[in-house]
Amino acid sequence: MLEVQNLTRRFGERTVLHDVSFSVPANGMTGFVGANGAGKTTTMRIIMGVLKAHGGQVNFNGSPIADGDRARFGYMPEERGLYPKQQVLDQLQYLGQLHGMSRLDARSGALDLLDRFGIADRTKDKLESLSLGNQQRVQVAASLMHHPTALILDEPFSGLDPIAVDAMSSLLAERAATGVPILFSSHQLDLIDQLCDNLVVLADGKIVASGSAGELRDRAKSTHVLVTPPDAGWLREQPEVTVHDVAGPRAVVEFASEEAAQRILRTAIVRGSVTEFAPQRPSLAEIYREVIR
Amino acid sequence: MSTATQTTTPTATPTAVRQGSPWLIVTLREVTVKIRDKSFVISTLITLALIVGSIVVSGFMADRTTEATVAFENRGETAVLVSAANELAAKQDQKIVLTADPVASQDAALEALRTKNADLVLTATADGYSLTGLSDVPGSVEKLIADAASAQALESNAGKLGTSVESLTAGSTITPVLLEGSQERNSMSMVMGFIFSFLFYMSALIFGMPIANSVVEEKQNRVVEILATAIPIRQLLAGKILGNLILAMGQLCLFVGIGLLALSMMPTEIPFLSVVIATSGWFLAFFLAGFLILAAIWAAIGAMASRVEDLQQSTGPVIMVLVAVLFIGIYAKGTFLVIASYVPVISSVAMPIRLLSTDVPMWEPFASLAIAIAAAWAMVLLGERIYRRAIMQTGSALSWRKALKLED
Repeated sequence: MLEVQNLTRRFGERTVLHDVSFSVPANGMTGFVGANGAGKTTTMRIIMGVLKAHGGQVNFNGSPIADGDRARFGYMPEERGLYPKQQVLDQLQYLGQLHGMSRLDARSGALDLLDRFGIADRTKDKLESLSLGNQQRVQVAASLMHHPTALILDEPFSGLDPIAVDAMSSLLAERAATGVPILFSSHQLDLIDQLCDNLVVLADGKIVASGSAGELRDRAKSTHVLVTPPDAGWLREQPEVTVHDVAGPRAVVEFASEEAAQRILRTAIVRGSVTEFAPQRPSLAEIYREVIR
Repeated sequence: MSTATQTTTPTATPTAVRQGSPWLIVTLREVTVKIRDKSFVISTLITLALIVGSIVVSGFMADRTTEATVAFENRGETAVLVSAANELAAKQDQKIVLTADPVASQDAALEALRTKNADLVLTATADGYSLTGLSDVPGSVEKLIADAASAQALESNAGKLGTSVESLTAGSTITPVLLEGSQERNSMSMVMGFIFSFLFYMSALIFGMPIANSVVEEKQNRVVEILATAIPIRQLLAGKILGNLILAMGQLCLFVGIGLLALSMMPTEIPFLSVVIATSGWFLAFFLAGFLILAAIWAAIGAMASRVEDLQQSTGPVIMVLVAVLFIGIYAKGTFLVIASYVPVISSVAMPIRLLSTDVPMWEPFASLAIAIAAAWAMVLLGERIYRRAIMQTGSALSWRKALKLED
């Protein structure tokens, strides 16, 4: 488990992180979202020790994180970069060795990952000769090959085609299943919704929501869809009901209580017919839009 | 600490415990990448060929005998002059041999020249002789014949005046005496000084510039963030400097070694070969210290730049220093050279040159080397400090002052 406690960071006069705290549990993936400039990259760089915090600390498995811990993390920086003029396999092997792998382990580990990403035939090519998407796959491989004890990935999915996104997702899910905490940032909310077990939302350097997906969904206001032909307009006059939207027979409403919901359902049946009455679970994307507002 | 990682893929190994030293991995990479670089290998081979070639050619030139066939209208005094010139050449140890080709007339002599049966035509004129060539009269031959002619004229004129050459030229002998070294040693030290200066200049550029380049390249494409999280930044820098140092020293040893080998295998005897070999050893030691200082500066410059293009500006002063070293090596003399031989970096060529040209007390090179090593140590610490702080800075290029003020 990776814990971020009360991180504060300034750049000159500007404070970009205010007392940021959240945790990245060891099972499952944690999505890190926020608008551009919210402080995601700064937070990740502090976790990786690339940047110093002006306050607060990072804990790994209960004790303050050390450089030795970080050396075994997998990190994908915001601005991508490997050696453009070096062969793909050679540089992966080099990075693996720097992470403490033996030459042979590094080589076979790299080949393994390149194979999973479908670029096993490009191992001898210089990185710069690969397409941007394929360079991105190599970058991902660089962060995963040494079997890291935690993964800090800044926008790992950006620039990947759907096939690569699938390969990447299943790889990450595998690693998460082995108990590796994974924190990744993304602007693709549908992906976050699909992959994440936890969510951390950052806005202007402050945490506005964090927790497991279930908790966040429960905490969010839940709405119901009620379809009651011929027209649902009458719902507007009912007490304890907030109507978000009415279109003909279909209405999206929020009930003040469970009793109110049951009462309205009975009324609707008495008034005519009910073809649909369903609670709507908000997606993480909706929760994000809600808290960011 | 973390628990052991379990993996789902059967081929995968558990996260390895750190093996060996990270700096060694960085060093090995620097070396292997360079050795596999075709342009580096080719330029090294070309330089080697140039070194061996120039030694062989100059040896050959020194050994070569100039031969010329001189045609002339067969009259007594001209034939005497040619044989006198040959005697003079033998006496002065000049490698010139003239073959006399007496012909019937002046026209026949010129015809022999045109048909290339003769190289030169010697003609007696009212006030001496003229020497005619087809398109060129070799200076050494002209001087030899002129010397012989003037000796001949001097003797015959002295005879006419009833005196002798000895009494005519009495009191005109000039014997060169040198207070420092000997003529031969000085010219040897000039040549070797030039070679040392040039080797230092070349190696410091060829292996120093790539340090700055690779540092800024890693900074520019952010791979340094991955490297810095994997290993301590100090080890990254150490590996980089060490790798280039090994390459530079390796190439230098190759150049100097092959050069000395070629020299010793030449048929002509090289004066002061033992001095040259001993000084070459000193030069390598001084090169090591000088290169370390420059390497630290190159690394700092690389870290302060934000793009490779920035280097064009910021490396200017270092290149100026290198050019200064080159010129001091070629031109410095006397007190100036003595002072230069104690200034780090410059001492890398100035001290070896002093050792070549005069007998320097044994403690001097040791003292100068100690100063250079101390300076290298200080510079590496400073360079490391700047590198560590500047390498993670994004945005525009930094000045030295700003870089020193940076916080971690």
